[in-house]
Amino acid sequence: MQKTKQLLLFLAGAFLFCLSGQAVQASEPIKIGVAGPFSGSDASFGEQFWRGVEQGAADLNAAGGILGRPLQLVKADDACEPKQASAVASRLVDREKVAAVIGHFCSSSTIPASAIYADAGVLMITPGSTNPLVTERNLSTVFRMCGRDDQQGVVGAEFIVQRLNGQRVAVLHDKTTYGQGLADAMKKRLHVLGKQEVLYEGLTRGEKDFNALVTKLKAVQTDAVYFGGYHSEAGPLVRQMREQGMKAPLVSGDGIFSEILVTSAGGPAFVDGVYMTFGADPRNLPAGRGLVEIYRKKGFEPEGYTLYAYATLQAIAAAMHATQSVEGEKLAQWLHNNAVETVMGKKAWDSKGDLQVSDYVMYRWDDKGKYKEVD
Amino acid sequence: MDIYIFGQQWVNGLVLGSTYGLIAVGYTMVYGIIGMINFAHGEIYMISAYLTAIFLALLGTFGLQSVPVVLVLVLLGTVLLTALYGWSVERIAYRPLRNSNRLAPLISAIGISLILQNYIRISQGARNQGVPPVIDGVWRIPANAVDQHFVQITHLQSLIVVTAFASMAVLTWIIHHTALGRACRATQQDRVMANLLGVDTDRIISVVFVMGAAMAAVAGMLVTLNYGSFDFYIGFLMGIKAFTAAVLGGIGSLPGAMLGGVVLGLAESFFAGFVNSDYKDVFAFSLLILFLIFRPSGFLGVPEVEKV
Amino acid sequence: MLARFWMACRVGGIALLLFAPITGLVLSGYRLEGHWQTPLLLAAVVTVGHFLFSVLLHHLGGLDRLGVGRAAALPAATIGLSAPKPVWIALLALLTLSLPLVLGKYGLSVAILALIYILLGLGLNIVVGLAGLLDLGFVAFYAVGAYTYALGYHYFHLSFWLALPLGALLAGLFGMVLGFPVLRLHGDYLAIVTLGFGEIIRLVLNNWVAVTGGPNGVSVAFPTLFGLEFSRKAKQGGIPIHEFFGIDYSANHRSLFLYFLLLGVVGLLILMVIRLKRMPIGRAWEALRENEVACRSLGIHHVTVKLSAFGLGAMVGGVGGVFFAALQGFVNPSSFTFFESAYILAIVVLGGMGSTSGVIAAALLLTVMPELLRDFSDYRVLSVGMAMVLMMVWRPRGLRQRRRPFFALPAEAAERVA
Repeated sequence: MQKTKQLLLFLAGAFLFCLSGQAVQASEPIKIGVAGPFSGSDASFGEQFWRGVEQGAADLNAAGGILGRPLQLVKADDACEPKQASAVASRLVDREKVAAVIGHFCSSSTIPASAIYADAGVLMITPGSTNPLVTERNLSTVFRMCGRDDQQGVVGAEFIVQRLNGQRVAVLHDKTTYGQGLADAMKKRLHVLGKQEVLYEGLTRGEKDFNALVTKLKAVQTDAVYFGGYHSEAGPLVRQMREQGMKAPLVSGDGIFSEILVTSAGGPAFVDGVYMTFGADPRNLPAGRGLVEIYRKKGFEPEGYTLYAYATLQAIAAAMHATQSVEGEKLAQWLHNNAVETVMGKKAWDSKGDLQVSDYVMYRWDDKGKYKEVD
Repeated sequence: MDIYIFGQQWVNGLVLGSTYGLIAVGYTMVYGIIGMINFAHGEIYMISAYLTAIFLALLGTFGLQSVPVVLVLVLLGTVLLTALYGWSVERIAYRPLRNSNRLAPLISAIGISLILQNYIRISQGARNQGVPPVIDGVWRIPANAVDQHFVQITHLQSLIVVTAFASMAVLTWIIHHTALGRACRATQQDRVMANLLGVDTDRIISVVFVMGAAMAAVAGMLVTLNYGSFDFYIGFLMGIKAFTAAVLGGIGSLPGAMLGGVVLGLAESFFAGFVNSDYKDVFAFSLLILFLIFRPSGFLGVPEVEKV
Repeated sequence: MLARFWMACRVGGIALLLFAPITGLVLSGYRLEGHWQTPLLLAAVVTVGHFLFSVLLHHLGGLDRLGVGRAAALPAATIGLSAPKPVWIALLALLTLSLPLVLGKYGLSVAILALIYILLGLGLNIVVGLAGLLDLGFVAFYAVGAYTYALGYHYFHLSFWLALPLGALLAGLFGMVLGFPVLRLHGDYLAIVTLGFGEIIRLVLNNWVAVTGGPNGVSVAFPTLFGLEFSRKAKQGGIPIHEFFGIDYSANHRSLFLYFLLLGVVGLLILMVIRLKRMPIGRAWEALRENEVACRSLGIHHVTVKLSAFGLGAMVGGVGGVFFAALQGFVNPSSFTFFESAYILAIVVLGGMGSTSGVIAAALLLTVMPELLRDFSDYRVLSVGMAMVLMMVWRPRGLRQRRRPFFALPAEAAERVA
């Protein structure tokens, strides 16, 4: 009821605006691009982005839009392919004339696309690309809403050494930008902590048989395995470890932060004792409680990057409100210097566009197929 | 290197190789009969994985508990429907191109594999899917009495190996000892002549596609049960690997497909296990190239005589 | 009519069987969600579609009238290669030169991508279309070119203008080295070897992290024109072009530069291919494609001739790669998958093997169509796949039938032969 009233009010306001002859300015929507993998093997992450931003835009529009103009979302599918990412980026900039972009997801897509946004002076905030290179290239309009792999790897390494008391650690990755970046960061920290990994190898994305690798893990008598990669490989990997009688814990990063891990591992029994790093779960924060309820009522569990995407839109909206502008350079300058209150709490960025505070924590899966923060 | 690790890698390679072999049958038979690389075959395998999970879940909702009954029903359903997919693909995309140039069916095969992948993605979603474990149990052979090391093979893995070799034997028997098999071989040797002698070659080619799809379905079901995880993208990599196996064994030869599969599986396992899993696939493809240069007809293929 | 109806019903029944489990029962975890209307709807569409199509076909006079599966018609008997009239060439040149005026940055980037694919298609056309060698790993040479520029820039600050010939040279060299042992073999084995080689190159680029950066890829600077840069501010120690000419900065400048450069390269390549087709080497390629045994008995050294085609195609692929690296500003192995090879091959076959204009048309179709379909993002790749199948069924020999230079005998001579 409240919403309908607001909408009516907004419509009435818009109508009055039309009458006063400023129709073009007022009713013309602000376009926001949402870029990510909506097809291909990573499409489930794209869906999380879309769900997050869609709800965010609906809420903002219900509250009267930004600067009195409604928001319009433009979906842009990059399928996590660099070439497509560049193509959709120039499309968003040139054809759609978006004011800001939320995306992309795969770091290998974000890196080439961000160059295009920066060149056109369009604000880009990625809710989920964690590769350090994204913000390490002096691009003033590029931000991220998440942590970086080098921070994530540090948390993982310290957890393995200090909490799990891992002596013979094996480091695996899936040979993607993300997975290998994570594994490298982890390995580096391991060396700082005075440990040498017993094995450092990659597996092929898209394969399901890792038995040979698991036997090799057994041969080197590893007592903790770190995996940089996504759930589609982590699931079969942990299952085959357990089937071959390996009890060593598997530790991974945000790429497996999805309940699909349970399905792809073949049941909750296999994910018991899997650890993963992720930002402090935004669903537990007081700021986001109401929103999580709205999602659950619609039958969608806002896991993974859903709330990150929502918060990203909030940050963009806040910058637009504060600067009364949609110009990328101005928005970026404001975001570099000001903190934003979001559904995930207060967020602030440094001069590179990284979050000032990284909040990675460790989660543990139990035998019921649920995960909980390790305290 | 400990002997139990060696033994375990042997088992790993054999299981993996058996699945390669089952899928390689489809490539080798189609290539043998119409000289075409059926790039959509990997997607047929992918579809069978989805069908397995769907039938398994369907029987689950009916409350069927007995494992053997469930397995047989799922196998029947999966094989029949996958074969129907194989047949339809041939009917729609390859038969109209029967008498055109050699490359046209190749392109339409690539088109079909794009269609099938996206058809599954749109209807079933892009997310990873899975099946719950159906067959548990494992045989473990202790390496020695002192420590707890062992070589193991799960019941399901042994089922994969046995099924692969058994179905290959049955298929080879069909090809060599039945009227249908004779017609297949006649079509393979000279399609025009076979046609003149009263063999309905179009039908025979359909049968070959159906047989290849059925074998891929057997593989798809067993692999799905074994790894418990699949997505719409698994067909591509599996297809390329199985095709490599078919070439290694000598394309056109049924026992060769099986042998090639096992050799490829073992090579991958041993290379990943004892050298480096990063370069496992590089090794597999290098093996393929070297083989083609020095023994182009594979293990069991017949050297080709150029006809003038 | 009734028979057609029953036939359509049978087809619909099969379609229902195919669609029912996959679209009707959607997996969700280990359970199913029923969507029983979807398969019924799809099957109904297939039934009605099949029925209408068969009726329509009957009235139009069968598939032959539509040109389905029609054999290549013999070209009209003129002497020599029928060249297009100069008027058309001039018109085409005018069109391509003025195109950037109407296109925005996005349109321009699509046009550049299309030009790269035209280049790749023409390169592969030499190998597949003219010499008849099936190459399933063409992307390997494309990758060699792209990485020559990227790594060369990264380690030695190699300039674009040097990378262009160097990339071509290296790719050609790779082609020769790979081709030499394999080209002795029967045709299909070449296809398989090239497929394996393409995968090996990609995997090595991905795994050899110390040199290639692995999946992280390598960044590339944008090419400069006589030391003039196309960026907003000078990054490579030159002068930005807009400051040099005293005009406003526009991100379009760099796209324009690449567009015209590529246009020039493609034009040169087309001229080269036309000349090659008439030269002895081009004749030898086509002759070998038609009948290898006959050629060998006539004293053509088949390995050398094939190698020249293979190497030349690889060189063009390398040039395409250098341009791709320059366009993207970033190279990583995920751009060089087998799918890419298949796509380029599809361009050649769709275009009609051996036909230059056909390849250009197909390259345009296959790059512009997916972009136009972006609004139907979910169905984009599906439609591309359907288009490929339909095109092949409709015209198995491609958009344009192959035209060869040939000589017709004078009428009386022909009579005597007959």
